[in-house]
Amino acid sequence: MPHKILVVEDEPNILIPIRFLLEKNGYEVMAVENGEAVMEALSAFAPDLVLLDIMLPQMDGFEVCQVIRNHPDWRDIKIAFLTAMGRDMDISKGMSMGGDAYITKPFSNAEVIECVKNLLSDEPQK
Amino acid sequence: MSPKNKFFWWVIVSIGFVLIVFVAMAWLFWQPLPPDEKALLVQVFKANFGYLFTVAFLLFAVLGLTLDWFFRFYIIPLGQLADEASLMCSVNPGHRVNIDGGKDVIRLSRIINQNAERYQEIKNNIREKIERAKADVESEKNIFAGLLSELPEGVVICNARGRIILYNRQAKAVLGENDPDGLSEEPRECRQSDRYVGLGRTIYEILDKNLIEHALNEIHLKLERKSPNAASFFVMVSRNHSLIKVEAVPVLDHERIFSGFILIFRDITEKLQRDREVNNQLRSLTKNMRASVSSIRSAAELLLEYPGMEPEQRQSFYTIVHDEARSLSELLNNKWFDYSSFIKTQWPLVTVTTGDFIQGITRRAKETLGVTIDLLHCDCEESIKIDNYSLLLSMLFVLHHLKEEVHVDHFNCTLTRKEGYAVLDFGWRGEPIRLDALRNWENMILKVNEDMIPLTLKDVVGHHDAEIWTYSDREKNGFSYFRLSLPVHDIPASEQIRHLAILSESRPEFYDFDLFNQAGQTSELDNQPLSELTYTVFDTETTGLNPQGGDEIISIGAVRIVNGRILRDEKFDQLVNPQRELSWESIKFHQIQPEVLKGQPTIDQVLPAFRRFVGNTVLVAHNAAFDMRMLQMKEWTTGIRFINPVLDTLLLSAVVHPIHQSHNLESAAHRMGIKVVGRHTALGDAWTTAELFLKLIRLLANKGIYTLKEAREASQKTYYARLRY
Repeated sequence: MPHKILVVEDEPNILIPIRFLLEKNGYEVMAVENGEAVMEALSAFAPDLVLLDIMLPQMDGFEVCQVIRNHPDWRDIKIAFLTAMGRDMDISKGMSMGGDAYITKPFSNAEVIECVKNLLSDEPQK
Repeated sequence: MSPKNKFFWWVIVSIGFVLIVFVAMAWLFWQPLPPDEKALLVQVFKANFGYLFTVAFLLFAVLGLTLDWFFRFYIIPLGQLADEASLMCSVNPGHRVNIDGGKDVIRLSRIINQNAERYQEIKNNIREKIERAKADVESEKNIFAGLLSELPEGVVICNARGRIILYNRQAKAVLGENDPDGLSEEPRECRQSDRYVGLGRTIYEILDKNLIEHALNEIHLKLERKSPNAASFFVMVSRNHSLIKVEAVPVLDHERIFSGFILIFRDITEKLQRDREVNNQLRSLTKNMRASVSSIRSAAELLLEYPGMEPEQRQSFYTIVHDEARSLSELLNNKWFDYSSFIKTQWPLVTVTTGDFIQGITRRAKETLGVTIDLLHCDCEESIKIDNYSLLLSMLFVLHHLKEEVHVDHFNCTLTRKEGYAVLDFGWRGEPIRLDALRNWENMILKVNEDMIPLTLKDVVGHHDAEIWTYSDREKNGFSYFRLSLPVHDIPASEQIRHLAILSESRPEFYDFDLFNQAGQTSELDNQPLSELTYTVFDTETTGLNPQGGDEIISIGAVRIVNGRILRDEKFDQLVNPQRELSWESIKFHQIQPEVLKGQPTIDQVLPAFRRFVGNTVLVAHNAAFDMRMLQMKEWTTGIRFINPVLDTLLLSAVVHPIHQSHNLESAAHRMGIKVVGRHTALGDAWTTAELFLKLIRLLANKGIYTLKEAREASQKTYYARLRY
């Protein structure tokens, strides 16, 4: 079974290439556009990794991250922030709140794939 | 004692004395006589009783008339002579003695008047010289006042006790009345604010006490450490909701002892708003650019990497590249870039060390919240740019809510430099705070016990370009943290702008005010010299003279006396709608027509404003018992009580001139050489009373009455004090 990745991104022009890239690299991908939809997707899709934008409508990425880390069933899901917030303070905040990786836009596809592979290398395929 | 009473006492004592001498001599003569001689004497006395009685009566009558003549022509005139000579020597040098009395008294009066003429000549010469010197000083003062009034900033100078000793119009506009020029047509008192800015008033009534105390504490700490930059800064919100940056600069005397402080007010609302807009635009620009470049880069790389992809897929990536490239062009053509130079350098923040900052938090958390902070690590020498009060209050606010939320009153703390940021962590054992709870806190007004500023936590954090969040450190076995991250700042030399003002031993050239030695008013008011107290001299006009019978106030006028000077610009003058008919007799007296009162505020609207005008000064009125009674009658309906000390010029006049019969306002003013203007208007009478009171203070001093307590006690002893309304 391929690894499952949940992409949380409200910009379609970023979401479409990311989704294509991940699928081409053999991952099963689900995409949602806001923080609140993440909760349903986490239960239904059970991803191994969440690629998480921060500036989302309604619930922001930091809050989503905190919810995932505080939920006993989801605590082990890997989280990689994928965001335009590139200040050192933002990176520090994301990592201290439970992020496993922090990718700043603009990013290269190779960078994303390398990050995803690193995070999922320890994860057994389902 | 009145002259009439004095005379009767004299007569009784004299006749009593004569009778005692006569009876004693008769008894001494009678005792040694043998019985036959005694019988003979009784027989002679009985036979001539009519003649003897007539002689005795005539003797007593002559004695009485002599005493009356002596009293009227010598005793009473001498008392009046002393009073009038005292007047000439003190408050009314133009007064001349004109007394009926004995020849010697009249001669003495002439000599006194001649000496007074000579004295006045000499005095006039001296006065001319003083006037010339004063004119020079006045001109310099006007230059100084002009300079001060033209400053764009509001300036208030206070003595060490916080009493205002100098202010300019801009400060009044920022702190007090909305319309300092009085251009509004609305009744003055109804539009007056709850803050009266004026000489002698305490700054603590006008500004938040906590803000001033915080600034002064900071200043004192810096002075103790001999810091070269002893100024303190804070931000406040003005009456019209503008954001005001306040700079508090200490004033030291020549021995470097703290003797007052200067507050400088700058309106930063517009600048902050502009900065905020530019900042938001730049952040938005950065975010959009990053997103667009990211989309283009990703799509382009995929097109290159997967040349054999489906045509529809290829087309969608082309569209992404095209759309995002166009969106980038629009972004770059936007005027946002033009604002970039404004950002950040405009923030009105002051540089402090991280050590000072955390020390302040630790101390205040213990004092205010009972929260202990254990500082485990501190990079204490880093510089951060902050608004000390608002950020300190923000941290207290967070600790207060943390304490309530996680039920912990002991926090570990570290303050570490991480790259370009100072990172402050408060740690506790337990779950972290949920971000949505933190977001709620962010939108709340900052208030911790009595400390409050009308800004939200989010405002203050954003204002400092800082971030806050909470997290859990899984490695440390269940410890959670609240983190504040804010940029560290290297101090440029140009920031050392205004440190402190040190007065030279002699006064500065453009000052003539005795700025820093004025006595404050505390619970020891009673023992303060009368000449150093601050007074509100007031008068009321009423519908009649019967407060209990339903008569109402129709006008209140008041002026202030500060440092022995009546302040022309700080007066209270308000007509009052009595909500009842005016009698024809009262209209004849005060000349206020009923139609003039119709649109005026009622007493329950006016009294709160008057209460604020009075503040904690000493109240003075002529025949104060009546005016105070009128005010007391309104206590129940308005809830306004005047518990200030009260002095009555009528009683004080009777204290200094007990021999004079009349102490009404006209007589007393006339005696003191005061020109009465606007009689029977509340403000006019208040003004006359104030002038009278200033002269009475000097005459009271001649009688050894210097303090408020002594003046009150002397008043109570006078005959007039028995009058009740």
